[in-house]
Amino acid sequence: MLDQNIAREVLQEAVRTGGDFAEIFVEDRIDNTLMMRSGRIETANTGRLHGAGVRVFSGTNAVYVHTNDTSREGLMACARQAAAAVKGGKGCIVQPFNAIDYTRPEEIRLLPTDVKAAVKAEKVRAAEAAARRISPEIVQVIGNYIDHVQNICVCNTEGVFATDQRVRTRLAVSAVASNGTENQTGSDNPGAMMGFEIFDSHINPEKVGETAAKQAVTMLHAPLCPAGIMPVVIDNGFGGVIFHEACGHSLEATSVSIGVSEFAGKLGQKIASDCVTAIDDGTILNAWGSIHVDDEGTPAQRTVLVENGILTNYMIDRLGSRRMNMPITGSSRRQSYAFAPTSRMRSTFIAPGNDDEAEMIASMGDGLYAKKMGGGSVNPATGEFNFAVNEGYLVKDGKIAHPVRGASLIGRGSEVLLKIDRVGKNLDLAQGMCGSMSGSVPTDVGQPMIRVSSLTVGGR
Amino acid sequence: MDMNLFIDRVLEAAKAAGIDTAEVYYTAGENFRAAALEGEINRYQVSASQNLSLRGTVNGKMGTSSTQAFDEAAIQQLVEGVKESAALVETDEQDEIYAGDAEYPVIPEVESDIKETTAETKLALCLAMEKAAKAADERVWKVQRAMVSTGSSTIRMKNSYGLDLTDEGSYCMAYAAPIAKAEGKTATGGWMEAGSKFADLDAERIGKKAVEETVCQLGGKPVPGGEYRVIMRFDAMQSLLQTFAGIFSAENAQQNLSLLKGKEGETIASPVVTLMDDPLLPGGFGSQRFDGEGSASRTKAVIDGGVLTTLLHSRKTARKQGVQTTGNAHRAGGAIRVAPTNFFFKPGEKDLDALMADVGDGLVITDLAGLHSGANAVSGDFSLLSKGYTIEGGKRGHAVEQITVAGNFYEVLKSIVAVGSDLDFSGSSIGSPSVDVGTLKVSG
Repeated sequence: MLDQNIAREVLQEAVRTGGDFAEIFVEDRIDNTLMMRSGRIETANTGRLHGAGVRVFSGTNAVYVHTNDTSREGLMACARQAAAAVKGGKGCIVQPFNAIDYTRPEEIRLLPTDVKAAVKAEKVRAAEAAARRISPEIVQVIGNYIDHVQNICVCNTEGVFATDQRVRTRLAVSAVASNGTENQTGSDNPGAMMGFEIFDSHINPEKVGETAAKQAVTMLHAPLCPAGIMPVVIDNGFGGVIFHEACGHSLEATSVSIGVSEFAGKLGQKIASDCVTAIDDGTILNAWGSIHVDDEGTPAQRTVLVENGILTNYMIDRLGSRRMNMPITGSSRRQSYAFAPTSRMRSTFIAPGNDDEAEMIASMGDGLYAKKMGGGSVNPATGEFNFAVNEGYLVKDGKIAHPVRGASLIGRGSEVLLKIDRVGKNLDLAQGMCGSMSGSVPTDVGQPMIRVSSLTVGGR
Repeated sequence: MDMNLFIDRVLEAAKAAGIDTAEVYYTAGENFRAAALEGEINRYQVSASQNLSLRGTVNGKMGTSSTQAFDEAAIQQLVEGVKESAALVETDEQDEIYAGDAEYPVIPEVESDIKETTAETKLALCLAMEKAAKAADERVWKVQRAMVSTGSSTIRMKNSYGLDLTDEGSYCMAYAAPIAKAEGKTATGGWMEAGSKFADLDAERIGKKAVEETVCQLGGKPVPGGEYRVIMRFDAMQSLLQTFAGIFSAENAQQNLSLLKGKEGETIASPVVTLMDDPLLPGGFGSQRFDGEGSASRTKAVIDGGVLTTLLHSRKTARKQGVQTTGNAHRAGGAIRVAPTNFFFKPGEKDLDALMADVGDGLVITDLAGLHSGANAVSGDFSLLSKGYTIEGGKRGHAVEQITVAGNFYEVLKSIVAVGSDLDFSGSSIGSPSVDVGTLKVSG
């Protein structure tokens, strides 16, 4: 998708004014989406994303120019514009390319672009019908089928010339339960870095529909969650969003490299309970958040962030690496060519521990059992995080009493990690889209069941 | 390929392929963004982007497809995409291609210098904002963001009925976000200004205001849990309205995703509440002469004195209810959705100080976090990490943080006591003044 001779010419142009590093990223991507509402396919869309970006560094400053015009002329125009914005520097020589294709066709058995949309529609239909069967209180089911095939090429003045094809498929179902005056929702959104064969092994559409519908109905009949400070048990899978928000974002070079993260300068120090080991892994076969190669052309890695409570590493991109004087970790990502890449999470999870899940609840006294978490956000400078509990249960005297709705959890990353007092064995990953400076990228969150000894629960 | 030619070629190819009615929607934009860090420009981003979507009917069913590549292959991909998509669509109620209105409003132009402003001027503003923020208070430790963004966009819509419409817009925006430290505590904050005249962006003012917003949070602490009288400052209320704007969509109501279904003509809010959708606001971020289907834009009150006068409609949702479209069709990818334009609570008489004096004891909330997860647009429930300050005896008390404020947006509409005078759009198409929302549950 990018001729090496043109690439060389463009890179030379980009560093002409003293830039000491330049990079070209070219992308061609087909997105397929199907949306079903009220039992009928409402929209079916095929979109083609096409463009390129040229990035130039001078020391720790970066210029990024992007365009839809990926012809030689279009790329040269970007390079000229970028070079014009660079104010001097030590310059660099364009190294000979070492071309590596990271595409792994053996991982993808059935390219979604080879599957008829009508066949995809059947999966959404099955999920929606299953959701409707759960209860007459289900008044709406929205089923979304999503796939994309993204072809990329990234090359730079240091000789990187990487190509890759990323294929992802996902089924997302939300159900609405209503009693006429109140609505409650439930959802389930599994996906993987797989083709359409995902429906043979990873996704059972009926189960997805049922999970979403059951959650909506449960929440419709749940009283409001009481507010207060209490112990909280967070279940596996999407529960891992707690580490993602409370710690993950604050370990990205984006905030660490300029010193604003609460975890900046704490390498080798204890930041979490001894029972916490956390990993950001881009290499898990077929995982939603996996990448063969990152968007700067670095092969994916497995990065241990926290080991037995001690901070061992950060997630570091090229620019961050220059500021921090630490090696890159192959986790630089971007939503598309329209974003300059930066350090991001991949599949981030708390590693399995030794604690028994049943004992965790039995010994917690009164508190909250957060079975399904929603999304959240964090302010890396202060560590203040928040996230929603989509399906929660009140625990009284170590026994699950009844479901509660409308709960949210807030706290400070540095404090909550030290308050994790149990880590279970049943690690599971769950899929999400993570938004940050370089756009929205697919990530996994994950953990076994864990317990936090005390946390502020927002409710009504 | 020349874009005019490309658009005509796409429409011809659609016709030749048996697509009955077809429409091209083309958007092009140029954007500039830069940021300063420690006295240097550390981020500089320039882009030119184009996107073209085709929608068309085959046997009465609407298909959609879009592209950012503009070659021969793209024409085929667009046409085939529309045909495949139309064959799949099952809904009875269909979007339609519209032949257009007889007249379109003219939005008074506001003065704009964005096209003439050089990159050097924009970079200088970034550096000056950072400097101003650092100089404003010794507790400022760093300015994590001092950024400027400008952009311009063009829309062209051309269809097989001969409708051919264009619209243009531009904006500029500046934002500073300092971090303050004192006595082992860290606080963040920020201030943003936006508009259509770059020369109006004042580095000193933005820098200072950003610092005020930040240092006032130092020493913040939770308040005891309980019920509190709450004023949502204009920016917090703006973010709440933005989160729940979808409940006013007729599309959502018809799909059982909004509890306002069938509530037209009923009182759904306090009598002090009037909610406007005004696409003709000069210089508004959501201003448009025509909507995503080519319907002429018009101004309307969605809530008038507490009464729901109308939901927001596209042609399809209006036809289903036997009413006229409100001109709120919105392009999302290739598909038509319903969305507000410039959407705001009509301001009242009192400023924030006067609202606080009326409240006596309570809380002003200045920041709500995690709206994408802690607020449910379908149920109306929210439980959000919040910041602000106490109101004690009608005056500003101490800074508050690490609390959640919880409620239900439908109930908030009804419990609003007063709407302030300080309408602000926070650099978006959604706006609000500060609002005394009555009593909410706080946990801390």
